[in-house]
Amino acid sequence: MAFYDWFFNALGLREWCDTNVSDAPMSMAQLLAQARGETASANGDGFPFPSLDNLNKACTEMPRTREMTAAVEDSFLAVKDTLKLVLDPLTQPLSWLLDGALYSFSTIPWFILIPLLVAGAWYVSRSVGVTIFVAMVFLFLGFVDHLDVALQTLSIIFVCTALCILLGIPIGIAMSKSNLLQKAMIPLLDLLQTLPSFVYLIPLIFLFSVTEAKLYGIAIILYAIVPVIRLTDLGIRLVDQDVIEAVNAFGMSNKQKLIGVEFPLALPNIMAGVNQTIMMSLSMVVIASLVSAPGLGVLVLRGIRNLELGVGLVAGLGIVLLAVVLDRTSKAALARINVSHQSK
Amino acid sequence: MNMNDTTNAPKIRIRKLYKIFGTKPQDMMSHIHAGISKADLLSNHHHVLGLQDINVDMQAGEITVVMGLSGSGKSTLIRHLNRLIDPTDGEILVDGEDVMSLSKDELSKLRQTNMSMVFQKFALLPHRNVVQNAALSLQIRGVEEAEREKEAQRWLERVGLSGFEKHYPHQLSGGMQQRVGIARALTSNSDIMLMDEAFSALDPLIRTDMQDLLLELQKELHKTIVFITHDLDEALKIADHLVILNDGAVVQQGEPQQILMNPADPYIEDFVSDINRARVLRVHTVMKPLKKGTKYTGDVNPNDTLETLIARSEGNTADNFRIVDGQTPIGQIDMKDLVKALVPRISASDQRAL
Repeated sequence: MAFYDWFFNALGLREWCDTNVSDAPMSMAQLLAQARGETASANGDGFPFPSLDNLNKACTEMPRTREMTAAVEDSFLAVKDTLKLVLDPLTQPLSWLLDGALYSFSTIPWFILIPLLVAGAWYVSRSVGVTIFVAMVFLFLGFVDHLDVALQTLSIIFVCTALCILLGIPIGIAMSKSNLLQKAMIPLLDLLQTLPSFVYLIPLIFLFSVTEAKLYGIAIILYAIVPVIRLTDLGIRLVDQDVIEAVNAFGMSNKQKLIGVEFPLALPNIMAGVNQTIMMSLSMVVIASLVSAPGLGVLVLRGIRNLELGVGLVAGLGIVLLAVVLDRTSKAALARINVSHQSK
Repeated sequence: MNMNDTTNAPKIRIRKLYKIFGTKPQDMMSHIHAGISKADLLSNHHHVLGLQDINVDMQAGEITVVMGLSGSGKSTLIRHLNRLIDPTDGEILVDGEDVMSLSKDELSKLRQTNMSMVFQKFALLPHRNVVQNAALSLQIRGVEEAEREKEAQRWLERVGLSGFEKHYPHQLSGGMQQRVGIARALTSNSDIMLMDEAFSALDPLIRTDMQDLLLELQKELHKTIVFITHDLDEALKIADHLVILNDGAVVQQGEPQQILMNPADPYIEDFVSDINRARVLRVHTVMKPLKKGTKYTGDVNPNDTLETLIARSEGNTADNFRIVDGQTPIGQIDMKDLVKALVPRISASDQRAL
């Protein structure tokens, strides 16, 4: 009756196939076909691809594709509780950090917070132009009443970037010291970098409650940590081998070498990685508004959902301005390091 | 320092040293002992014979120069002394102790206190200023900042770099950077100094300056210096003991003047043929025994070069000089001998006839 009947007959599996035959139509497609008065065997293709669905027509014991995805879901749900038991307490501090940052950014009055942020930009960049630009951006955002949402976005970026640096640099250093670890980590980093950013959110929604801040915190960190790891590893591997040989010849210990030579010489590369990490957390924080991350992303989402063109575009402009602020400030810091370290 | 032990025994002694590059160097030693050639080892077993059967004694307070062209293994050899590279077979004795038997800590200690190194590409730390670079070895040993910078300062002055302490390496010329490299080695106060093509990256005039500086320092410091170079002029100028390396093996070693007068094989003959012999050869190398009744044009010092002598005679080939060491006359030289010594082949056969 179905195309692949002969295959199961030839293998002598007919009996196994028919153990649970029921006449009830299982899928919508079958139902529709029945309604149109066609039989299941009237397959338009002369030679259908031996896919799960097509094989199922010949042998009901074969799972259909739908059942396969359901199995993936079931297996994830099966380990979910154990995973949650371990991950929940581990990631709880992240929630506290994010909530704390959001709280403090929203309760400190603007006339204290803006000067503080501008002073921070000056401290990091030591560039008059960049500092003035940062001040102008904050004043503009305040003027169009987007300051509080922009500050929410900024506070999430600060927390996530700080954690990325805190975790990423040690991982990068470990990778630069062990070829084996590097080989193991690179496919994982590739995966994290190429996985569409929405896909991060799916398993996380199952694991944590959407009301918890750590849900989007984890998504942002996973997405944004990659460049800082990669460039730390690369930076340390690229340190001039002649210099390393020289400090070895003078009997330097590994610890002295790492702190006193390798890390400072790799710093320009590491800073380039930090710059990338900041930019990537900004792009992810917008997407994470889908899972209740507050900030400018929420307004963009509203613009899409309610077709409020103006709201979406102004929020988008705010994101661009934040991106430029973060990029210029961190690039100015990078340039400063480059000058003081190796202007050759 | 225990001067008693070091008077006779060499400071560094290299015995039957082999280095094989490849995946299983140890397994290749049996082939080596069976007398396999370097080419066969490469084509049949895919291992490269880097150094073979090196035996060199380096005396305390002398400059031992290892000379060879690129690929001869000289840089590999010097890195064995402080074990930046580990040998495949053989032993390296420093003050009678085998460096292969040292533990990790003892090796660090050896590198910190007994041996310092100067590099071809300077290899200064780009993020530290001159005085911090010079104080590197003391910093590694954990000496107080004020104390180590005072010591570094002293040596920077000695190599002619006072006033540049706060500069960064990239602000200095190549010659000055290498002076920092030398100051860094001297600050460690080690009695052995390894110099890996230290002056090769410098232009000729600066190189001569640096060679003079090294000789001047050596006159007062009497360190055991191992100097690597591919430049025969440089080797002849500074060597007390010259080792010529070719294809990973020692071709000839000895006092440089003797090598110049008696090249052991055509390879070395080729090598020495391009040398300005008048500037390198010294009077005592070519002098003849004193003959009674000879009339001398004047007295000369045994360490004068032939060039000085030619200048003094103003080209007069009839001149005949007496060689006086301090007060005692030790030999004589006429201009005919001198001119003959300038032609490599004639001088070599002359010496063999002696």
